[in-house]
Amino acid sequence: MTIEFVDVDVRPILRAGGEPFSVIMQAVEGLQPGQGVRLFATFKPIPLFGVMGSRGFSHEVIALDDGEWEVLFRPAGTSLTPPPAASGEVDAATWPEPSIDLDNRDLDPPEPMARILEATERLQPGEVLSALLLREPRFLFPELAKRGHQWRGGFDPERTTYKILIRICPSKAAQG
Amino acid sequence: MPLIGAALSRWTMSYFAVALLSLLAAETMMVAGLGFPAEALRAPTTLVLVHLITIGWLSLTMCGALNQFIPVLTERPLYSDRLPLPALGFLTAGLVALILGFLRLDGRVRVELPFLSVAAPLLGAGFALVIWNLARTLWSARSLSLPARFVAMGLAAVSVATTLGMIFALVLDQTATGSPFARLHAGALPIHIIAGLGGWLTISTMGVSYRLLAMFMLAPDIDEARGRATHWLAALALGVAVGGGFAAMLAEGSLATVLGAALMLAIAALALYGRDVLHLYRTRRRQTLELNSRMAVFALVNLALSAALGIALMAMGRFSEHVGAVVFLSAFGWLSGLMLAQMHKIVAFLTWLEVYGPVLGKTLTPRVQDLVEERAATRWFLLFFASVWAATGTLLAGNAPMFRIAALAMMVATSGLVSQMIKIRRLSHVPPARRLPGNAVQPMLLFTATKPT
Repeated sequence: MTIEFVDVDVRPILRAGGEPFSVIMQAVEGLQPGQGVRLFATFKPIPLFGVMGSRGFSHEVIALDDGEWEVLFRPAGTSLTPPPAASGEVDAATWPEPSIDLDNRDLDPPEPMARILEATERLQPGEVLSALLLREPRFLFPELAKRGHQWRGGFDPERTTYKILIRICPSKAAQG
Repeated sequence: MPLIGAALSRWTMSYFAVALLSLLAAETMMVAGLGFPAEALRAPTTLVLVHLITIGWLSLTMCGALNQFIPVLTERPLYSDRLPLPALGFLTAGLVALILGFLRLDGRVRVELPFLSVAAPLLGAGFALVIWNLARTLWSARSLSLPARFVAMGLAAVSVATTLGMIFALVLDQTATGSPFARLHAGALPIHIIAGLGGWLTISTMGVSYRLLAMFMLAPDIDEARGRATHWLAALALGVAVGGGFAAMLAEGSLATVLGAALMLAIAALALYGRDVLHLYRTRRRQTLELNSRMAVFALVNLALSAALGIALMAMGRFSEHVGAVVFLSAFGWLSGLMLAQMHKIVAFLTWLEVYGPVLGKTLTPRVQDLVEERAATRWFLLFFASVWAATGTLLAGNAPMFRIAALAMMVATSGLVSQMIKIRRLSHVPPARRLPGNAVQPMLLFTATKPT
């Protein structure tokens, strides 16, 4: 399926010191089914990835010359559906891109849990870890809660892979 | 607070400890030649033996495991963390009173106290607390997953078995008089046994095994469509046995006909359960089976053997003569074998989680396997299963002295497994230098020192 992209160039707004968010969202509201957005920006718009992800868009980032960026937002169906929220309270849409991606599907339990907790210790507050698992990690959740991390996770549509995103607690991280 | 799934159940190890002591006590009785098969099936000492096994060993193991795993099955915290300890107290005290009461019937205990009349409310209170706590947890998690629905059925069955048991105890003590009670006592014994062994213990074990086997073997959970037929057949078998059984008693019809129909349904349900479990083993992602999943195979084979033995004996018209052997094989080969195998794993896993969970990722920690000495445990498990088969053989052959030797082997195997589990709790298999890294704390033997999260 070919996707028709609507171009949104927010570079002039950004260079003028303006806030492009409303312009982008306006463009998104006006999309026809099946249409995507081609965004041009002067920096990598990481906060936007979560917002668009929650609206069912995947993204592809292309670095342009002069430190500028082109981002392709494709409508859902072309990638893994975003996992449903599990950890309540947090607006997961504002989460940054994962700094670490783990694929723990080939590990025997409880090794996946041990690897994930080990990785969370290496991350800075606010950073995000993504991990793929075969089963829902029920015994991991209390440990994440104890350490103050936030998480969201869910199965893919085939229910064969569980994807969890963990955000390191901004205040408590790196404490004993 | 977000849903945080399964925390550690504080008293599960205490339930397991009392349960294992009861199993060892029952095996000691068999070695000593007390109760069946040396004495009659309805002899008071046989009643002591049977209740040590069914309440002390099997039910307490099941309750301890459910306190830990109902939250895993339902994704809800346990309704109350305070009820499990008083429940264990009531059940243990009730079991002791029940045993004393039976021994008094026999003239072995000469203290003129109404032990059975004390046992009835104690056991009733204990089971009521367990059922209330677990049922409230299940209720908060409607609609239930397949394994949880099996457990719900098990809880319904244990309430029937307990109620009848209380009535029997009061009748035996002549606290409850009057013809309805006397009629129940005379006729409802098969319903008590079926609700307890078949409903509560077997159906709950089936439900828990669905999730535990899938969890430990990394198999996808049995899907609803596949498990639904098993679930409904099991429910129907239980419903026919209990509901039909009572109806037959009221109408003074033939209890045997009703129970025969229930048995056919039960065998069909067990066949479907066997199919489901085979599917779990086939679809597992974990290539090398762990000890508990390997030993579970023996238990599952014993379930099939018990069913086959029962059918063969019925075909030969010799079922009532050998009913003890069939019940023995299913109680020890299937239920006890599976419970011991999973208990060994659960103790190791929960101990690992308790000790190393808080420091995971912060320092180098032992793996779960490092807490266990698989080779020694395997030997004890094999001895256990071999001696159960030998004991079943001696029962069929009617050789009571040889039965005592086989029971001794069972007792030795059980003691070996108990000592393995104590070593797991004490972290004895982990080299001292690696035992307590960082802030890790040595666990208590008999309970879990959970910190509020």
